[in-house]
Amino acid sequence: MSEIKTGARAVADLVDGCIVACVELATSPERVFLVLASPEIIDWWVNPGVFDTREWTADVRVGGQWRASGIARGLPYALEGKFLEVDPPRRLVQTWHMVGAPSTPSTVTYLLEPITGGTRLTVHHSGIAEPDQRSNIGAGWRTSFDRLSEILSTHRE
Amino acid sequence: MTELRFLTAGRFYVINRLRMMSRVQAKTDAFRAIADPTRRAILDRLRAGPANAGTLASDFQSSRPAVSRHLRVLREARLVVETRIGRERVYAVNPVSLQSVAGWLEGYRAFWQASLTKLKRNLEAK
Repeated sequence: MSEIKTGARAVADLVDGCIVACVELATSPERVFLVLASPEIIDWWVNPGVFDTREWTADVRVGGQWRASGIARGLPYALEGKFLEVDPPRRLVQTWHMVGAPSTPSTVTYLLEPITGGTRLTVHHSGIAEPDQRSNIGAGWRTSFDRLSEILSTHRE
Repeated sequence: MTELRFLTAGRFYVINRLRMMSRVQAKTDAFRAIADPTRRAILDRLRAGPANAGTLASDFQSSRPAVSRHLRVLREARLVVETRIGRERVYAVNPVSLQSVAGWLEGYRAFWQASLTKLKRNLEAK
């Protein structure tokens, strides 16, 4: 397992408005799939005191719903979506929506590939809506997105 | 044609991002860098992957000195970074700079970066 040295790397694609992230893990695809689709989510979608996922529930099947909630800088938030593809241990696709936001849901795709000694996990988070600055509603939400962005940005390595 | 549309979309996207940022902080260097269509095209080309000046010159049918001048402006605006590999200088998009331009995407990027780092630590903990 010593060859698995690549740490996590995430890049933003400004033109397509998406994030591509990749990490190599010294564990089997079956184990990785479980951590993506179980309450274990709360152990890694987290930055204590800043962005805490406290709860995660889901009906893991195509069309099934998922919901995560927690506290971000003292205020509650909730994310939800539904599963579009469930193909263990290779692929999991789900929509992602911030509850209450007027934007259309974005899409998170997890790809799991077996590699020598482990698994390469690639995350593609696409369709992230840009806050609409042309409307008043958009202006309000822009502040919220800025706040979300600020909250999430505190997650530095 | 698809390629052209892609470049045009990218251009407006970056310009929009820069306009948004300008209200918060002056990004005059980046504005100046992005104002030139060749530099926008170079930036779009580098998004596909790092390249040296020679490759960029042949891609854009420009002289090497002209491309070098554009690269200097992009470097000064911190939109592009230069790395020496042996005797060669390779240019790449500076992810940090472009991300600061698109703060709303940066939050998500940082989230995934941190979460996957944590995931790796959890799964590989003895």
